[in-house]
Amino acid sequence: MGTATGLYHRSYAEVLALRQTRAEYARLALLGIALAVAPFVLPPVWLRVACQAGIAAIGAIGLNILTGYTGQISLGQGGFLAVGAYTSAIVVTRMDLPTPVGIVAGIALAALVGAFFGLPALRLKGLYLAIATLASQEIVLWVVRNWSAVTGGASSLLVPAPRVLGFPLRSDFAWYWVIVACGAAAALAATNLFRTGIGRAFVAIRDQDIAAQAIGVDIVRYKVLAFAVSSGFVGLAGALTAHYTRTVQWEQFTLDVSVLYVAMIIVGGLGSVAGSIYGAVFMLVLPAGIQQLGTALRDDFPIITEKLPALQHAAFGLVIMLFLIFEPRGLARCWQRVKDYARLWPFRY
Amino acid sequence: MAELIQLSINGLANGSILALAALGFVIIYKATGVINFAQGQFLAIGAYLVYTGVQVFHLPWPLAILLAMAAGVVIGVSVERFVLRPLVGEQAVAVIMVTIGLAAFLQAVVQLIWGTTPLEFPRFIPAGTITLAGATVPVDRLVAIAVAAVLLTAFSWFFRRSRSGIAMRAVADDQQAALVMGISVRRVFALSWALAAVSAVAGGALVANILGVSGDLAAFGLVVFPVVILGGLDSISGTIVGGAVIGLLMTFTARYVGGGLQTVVPFVVVVLVLLTKPYGLFGQARIERV
Amino acid sequence: MKRFARILGAALLLLTAACGGGQGAAGGEAGDKPIVVGAIFDLSGPTSDVGVPYAEGVRDYVDWRNRHGGVGGRQIDLRWQDYRYDAPTSEQFYTQFVAAGAVALQGWGTKDTEALRGRVTDDQIPFMSASYAATLGNPEDTPYNFLVALSYSDQMRIALQHIARQSNGKHVEVAVFHHDSPFGTSPLDDGKRYIKDKGLDIGYQTYVMPQSATDYVGELARAKQQGATYLIVQNTSKPAAVLAKNAKDQGIGARLLCLNWCGDEIFIQQAGDAAEGSLGILPFAPPLQAKGNMPDLEAALKAKGRDLDSINLHYTQGWYTMSVMAEGLAEALKSGKEVTGPAVKEALETMGPVTTPVTTVIKFSRQSHEGMRSARVYQVKAGAWEPLSDALTP
Repeated sequence: MGTATGLYHRSYAEVLALRQTRAEYARLALLGIALAVAPFVLPPVWLRVACQAGIAAIGAIGLNILTGYTGQISLGQGGFLAVGAYTSAIVVTRMDLPTPVGIVAGIALAALVGAFFGLPALRLKGLYLAIATLASQEIVLWVVRNWSAVTGGASSLLVPAPRVLGFPLRSDFAWYWVIVACGAAAALAATNLFRTGIGRAFVAIRDQDIAAQAIGVDIVRYKVLAFAVSSGFVGLAGALTAHYTRTVQWEQFTLDVSVLYVAMIIVGGLGSVAGSIYGAVFMLVLPAGIQQLGTALRDDFPIITEKLPALQHAAFGLVIMLFLIFEPRGLARCWQRVKDYARLWPFRY
Repeated sequence: MAELIQLSINGLANGSILALAALGFVIIYKATGVINFAQGQFLAIGAYLVYTGVQVFHLPWPLAILLAMAAGVVIGVSVERFVLRPLVGEQAVAVIMVTIGLAAFLQAVVQLIWGTTPLEFPRFIPAGTITLAGATVPVDRLVAIAVAAVLLTAFSWFFRRSRSGIAMRAVADDQQAALVMGISVRRVFALSWALAAVSAVAGGALVANILGVSGDLAAFGLVVFPVVILGGLDSISGTIVGGAVIGLLMTFTARYVGGGLQTVVPFVVVVLVLLTKPYGLFGQARIERV
Repeated sequence: MKRFARILGAALLLLTAACGGGQGAAGGEAGDKPIVVGAIFDLSGPTSDVGVPYAEGVRDYVDWRNRHGGVGGRQIDLRWQDYRYDAPTSEQFYTQFVAAGAVALQGWGTKDTEALRGRVTDDQIPFMSASYAATLGNPEDTPYNFLVALSYSDQMRIALQHIARQSNGKHVEVAVFHHDSPFGTSPLDDGKRYIKDKGLDIGYQTYVMPQSATDYVGELARAKQQGATYLIVQNTSKPAAVLAKNAKDQGIGARLLCLNWCGDEIFIQQAGDAAEGSLGILPFAPPLQAKGNMPDLEAALKAKGRDLDSINLHYTQGWYTMSVMAEGLAEALKSGKEVTGPAVKEALETMGPVTTPVTTVIKFSRQSHEGMRSARVYQVKAGAWEPLSDALTP
């Protein structure tokens, strides 16, 4: 129950509710309308970017669970994305099972692999954990490339479009709805996770793991669980990528992709589900935007064409550095400041 | 026997280059506790600066290297002042990511200035081979081993004996205590980045001699991690040993096992080391407190 | 309530700003509208050293052709993008090209060709790539992919044929060094099968060249143990040059035989002395070999203030690949009907042989989309590629 002087709750249900003021519900409704209208008004290029951003958001949420909420740095997402994608693709193409089964298999296997590669987290922290996950990324990718019998090795795996009620799901328009539905489910699941005891245990591990251990939080169990849950989300993103792009190649899952995901959650805001989504959208819209700008200016400034990819790369690096220097808590914090300003105006605090 | 010598020299040469590249990492980590993911780019920039000095301005190569080192110092100190200083006290993820962002940015700058086509690097190390105990060994690799050994020993001495070196180790150990003792932490940070840049220029010039100068030099940077993890992030002698081990391991795996396994072996080593002796062979264990 | 209204107003404003940006026009209408052709190049990625001159060749050809009447009176609207050898980026550009009404596409590497294979078949747009994997030349699997040059498998067969001929019946060991990718592995099995089918006395072993490797000393030591006297290289020029230098330094005593992607001027420049004596299968002759026979190309270069010394064979490769596509477009226009993807495919298959000054005859058919069926073997003499044999067929 939100009033001008603060939040007053009269029942437990109200305390636990996902949204607590009218303004928040209004914003959520607006978001819903925007999402529903978007595929009808966006040009094809941007619709595609929207779909890719939606999938990336799911992966970013997963990574944020691990890094933002549990404090375990991971540079190995590319590997887990690959596991999710290849598993789903192989289940659908080789075993002829329906796509949802493939996706569930992708999530499950990615979670298992994630739990396994999370074992070093029990002994390592910070930088060393980052390097261990980097090593795991390279190892997973190497296995994918060389286990030709199962993964097709270095050649790409072609996946037929999934069929819904007999119609092949091929266009960006159709996929948009599927991706938004999965994304909403993922966001809801993640938000709910942090209303439970498991979520609080994760946060305790991030803040003060030695103290948490002292008060009885089972570090081993929760760290491995964090890796498993996070990799499950990332595996879902990978499986969706496989069916959306209809080709699975190992080059889609290199270290650069892992770094991109970490950039997404840093720019978006660590420890925030909404932040993961903002970050994912931002990091995908930025290169696409520069691309479109470059193409538009190309005839007037021919020098741009050769330099464009370098400019995109420079923008990527610059954005990360500037966000970290000036707003380390990311877009979520920027948005929070906007909301606070509006809420408290004309007062400052 | 001849083959064994050939393979060993090759492995040691690769290892020396890796150790030189890793030196920059270790210097920065020793003084500031930061891992600089952009070190590979520093190597590339060092190589390109030397190239520009010789091919564009037609300077004699020793002068070009010295000027490149001076430019490298400027770059290193500015990076420390404008990129790393604001992030003092932030969590590890933030510092790691800012250096990754820096790496992407520097790579783009290199591409913008020098383009992506591989360039003709002036070879001041003579090409050609000599025969060593029946094995034909390329001269440039022997020179690489020698130069790397000299530089690494010099830096090792610097850290152990000179005042600045000891000051840097003090700052790495406990910043507040160092400040109390009158050591300027700011100057130490700047010095460490400057030294890392200098070693990057030297390493870059050496690598470019053997491999040619192109954007790929930075990709080298990835294999440096196994070297520093094996040797210990804050130990220079560890870097020497780690470099030698990884270089030899890769070459011998390529010879006796094949199948592209040599690219993944260093990373398996990383995982094994991290699970058993996380601080490496020579690194210092850190004690954590609540 | 006032705040609520303000928020709603701001959101609606943002929403209207997101709209706009028109849909691409439908393509292929008759009349004087330009014909839209999409092209993706690698101008700044891992294969940019050969991608840049190829792209220049393609673009310069289109400029020249447009200035000299276009195809059947209509201009070619070449929409090109740099995809940096990144498959997802190539798919993004593909979507844009299709939306803009492209009726044909110029592709580049194995990665994007593989990634787009299914889509070009679904969308029915002919795709001419610089990837010459044999699987792309079979209309039953990939009805819309076209290979202008000799497939990698055919190149391998010619290479083995030449080696067998040179060894005069004696047993010879061949080490095949290949790139670590589908591009690299494409000709390997076909090579092995060829040896068996023709009963050649050749020992055949393959060695992968890892992408991040800085030297191949270990692999070369294994090849030496095998006793290889020929090293066939299915890779690009830079790694091939490193291989050549390593082989010379180690005293391996084997001769290199480059397939088309390392048989170029870049290989010679990078390898220096180590390249001397190496063999190559060059489907596109070096420009200096065809000096005087390429009036259009040379005129176009002169107009830009350049000459034949400033280009390498990838420029002519791009130029003449685009010219084959232009011939296909012209043929499609002759029928008078609307120019669409399937019409261009039909035209390419039925237009008959095309001759160029730098290649053997190029001909597509309904049964085969492999344009060339023969190529010459070249050798590096005094720092340049000189022809060693006549055109060989596998």
